[in-house]
Amino acid sequence: MRRSSGLAALLAAALAALLLAACGEGDERSSGARTTSDASPIRIGTKNFTEQFILGELYRQALQAEGFPVRLKLDIGNSEITHQALAGGGLDMYPEYIGVLLSEIADQPQRPRSPTAAYRLAKAFEERNGFTLLRPTPFTDANALAVTPATARRHDVRSIADLERLPGRPEIGAPPEFKTRFEGLVGLKELYGLDRVRAVPLRIGDQYEALDEGEVDAAAVFTTDGQLADGRYAVLADPRGVFADGHVAPIISRRTLRAHGPRLAVTVDAVSRRLTTRAMRAMNSAVAQDGETPAAVADRFLRSQGLKE
Amino acid sequence: MRRILRTRITARVVALGAVVAALLGLALVLLIVAVGGLRDAGQAAFRSQEALTAGSELEGSLISIENGLRGFVASGRERFLQPTEEALRDYPGELRRLDRLVSGEPDQQERVERVGVAIEDYVTLWARPLIALARDRLPAAQSVVVTNGGRARLDAISEGFDRLVARERVVSRERELRAEQRSSLAVGFGFGGLALVLALTAGVALYLRRAIVQPVLMVSEATGRLAAGDLGTRVPAERPDEIGDLARSFNAMADSLQSSRSELASRTEELEHSNGELQRSNRELEQFASVTSHDLQAPLTTISMYAELLERRHAGELNGVAELLDGIRGATGQARELIRDLLEYSRAGRGPLHVEEVAVGAVVGQVLESLAGPIDEAGAQVVVASELPVVSADRGNLARVFQNLIGNAIKFTSDRAPEVRIGVERDGARWRFWVRDNGIGMEPQHAERIFEPFQRLHGDEAYEGTGIGLAVCERIVDQQGGRIWAQSVPGEGSIFSFTLPARETAQDEAAVEEARAHAAV
Repeated sequence: MRRSSGLAALLAAALAALLLAACGEGDERSSGARTTSDASPIRIGTKNFTEQFILGELYRQALQAEGFPVRLKLDIGNSEITHQALAGGGLDMYPEYIGVLLSEIADQPQRPRSPTAAYRLAKAFEERNGFTLLRPTPFTDANALAVTPATARRHDVRSIADLERLPGRPEIGAPPEFKTRFEGLVGLKELYGLDRVRAVPLRIGDQYEALDEGEVDAAAVFTTDGQLADGRYAVLADPRGVFADGHVAPIISRRTLRAHGPRLAVTVDAVSRRLTTRAMRAMNSAVAQDGETPAAVADRFLRSQGLKE
Repeated sequence: MRRILRTRITARVVALGAVVAALLGLALVLLIVAVGGLRDAGQAAFRSQEALTAGSELEGSLISIENGLRGFVASGRERFLQPTEEALRDYPGELRRLDRLVSGEPDQQERVERVGVAIEDYVTLWARPLIALARDRLPAAQSVVVTNGGRARLDAISEGFDRLVARERVVSRERELRAEQRSSLAVGFGFGGLALVLALTAGVALYLRRAIVQPVLMVSEATGRLAAGDLGTRVPAERPDEIGDLARSFNAMADSLQSSRSELASRTEELEHSNGELQRSNRELEQFASVTSHDLQAPLTTISMYAELLERRHAGELNGVAELLDGIRGATGQARELIRDLLEYSRAGRGPLHVEEVAVGAVVGQVLESLAGPIDEAGAQVVVASELPVVSADRGNLARVFQNLIGNAIKFTSDRAPEVRIGVERDGARWRFWVRDNGIGMEPQHAERIFEPFQRLHGDEAYEGTGIGLAVCERIVDQQGGRIWAQSVPGEGSIFSFTLPARETAQDEAAVEEARAHAAV
């Protein structure tokens, strides 16, 4: 009948509209529930320059390849704050330079006779606070001072002591902590009597440009910096040993070691053992000059070393 | 089902009512959805606002931490750390609040998580270590601070917030819009539904008008026309429903009326016809009776006259003639009486009525006077028992009736001393006059016969009279719209009663009119 079919159509249309409208209700719920991973991840920190980023990536990727949960915190800052973060429980592990650890953190500037002795001293220090050192790397990356070859020629500067010859107040481009460190102005003054020199705070990585531009007379560098590879800069000799050896050892909390078992140390050590100075330099170069990412560089190295599939 | 909808208006109305109710219900539901949509839109907007507030509070806390921190590192004074400590206590709760308020979108959840991680990193990898470092070796802390590491982290966090908030705004706005759309749609449908309901209601009203009111009016008008006399009027009656039934019933009624009326008309015609014939016959008869009796009287008078003459002229000559002549005179006298009574009877109850206000008492008095002789002779006692009223009647006729009745009463007496009582009684719209005697009475079965003309219960010899007195009375009383009857107990007496209409009501006029019309026929 006309009327009943019209009525049915009307009801159907209305029902459809209702359903459509009601459909919008679905996605309003906000849960805010988050899944947390069951095994607490190993928090690896790094300091604030390229080599540290690479080391961080190397350790992270190697551990993840072995199934460990890892959180990598890059670019935390200098040793002072990074170590404080570790000590305060914000980190579980980070790679530190033995010399810096002794002179700036452990407050023991006197240089041990050998790297091994230094390592043992540093390890003992850490172990007093619930931490420990894992195996040291073969490579050493020490602090150093460098000048342009032009400066070296002009003022006949070959060693740190020669900085005396620079007129006025020679400026050394360095990160801010240089001012307060023994492996900085403090040591330079103490061991070389250089009290005229000034530190110009620069971000790590910017010092080479500053040297090139002539903004600074000398610059604080790392001996494994890629920029130093082809002799474009003259590294000053350090006969009095203000700059100690720069072997790297990962500082790690003992609790983390216990929590994750012996395989953790084994995996980390397997990486550390393979880091030669040459390898490190090459990796630094790849990042600083070739523009590769630390992650890619680390990945390539690990694969080449068979530590990652 | 279809049959029912076709043939029962109630069913149709119920169906329509159900549709209207369903639509109203639907409209109501849609409006509720609309309200729900609006409420959701409001809630979405509110949540978004709350999220923004939570975000900015959190940022504020972080900035407090940083500023306090920097102040402390710059001066070495612990009191700079107060806002920092406070903010360090507050920020976890604020972060949780933000997390709750942010929408459930997975991207947003991820953003909140990342911001949360960045905040945790700021606190655990910058703020707290820096505070500890400053407390331990202030110069080292100062050399860290100048790197603006904290600022850089906060900037990154801020950017994260911005992205979070921007997305939140968009999501919230989308939600608001959707809710508003839903609401508008629902409102649209709701009002559409209402409009539809209004249209349907109007439609229903129109339908009712067309389907019910108009047909009913038609039947009503047709009924009026029918009542006014147009018996040929009919209404259309094809519909299968109740209205159709009504129309069909009307038509059937009209048919029936029409046929009865025509039957009635033809009967009336017949009646009129026979009535006319009857009247004609009556007139003829009357004329006949009148002429006859009149014509008969002449020869009788002549006979009587000649008898007289005979007696006068030749009485001495003829012996025993006087007796014979007496005989002739007697017989002619009888004949004349008979003729006279016949004439009187033929005229009684006919002819014009001279109706006036008659004092019955006066009439009765006159009658008694005229009957004085016979009353005396009979030794009868006549008593007028009640006060007699004034009636509208023909005086002469009324006198006749009383004369007959009273005459009879003193005629048919028994051994007892005759006693005649005359009275009246009001009986509704009538006066009932009665004449009562203590005479010989009669058997009940004769009570009706005596009103027929020339009916005598006793032989010629016993009582006088021709036997038409009561017949005449009946005719007279009948003409005036009354009744006359007798009741009797043999040996004890009789009561003769007759009724006349009382004059004080409108019925009297009508009765009088009727009587007049009757007389005119």
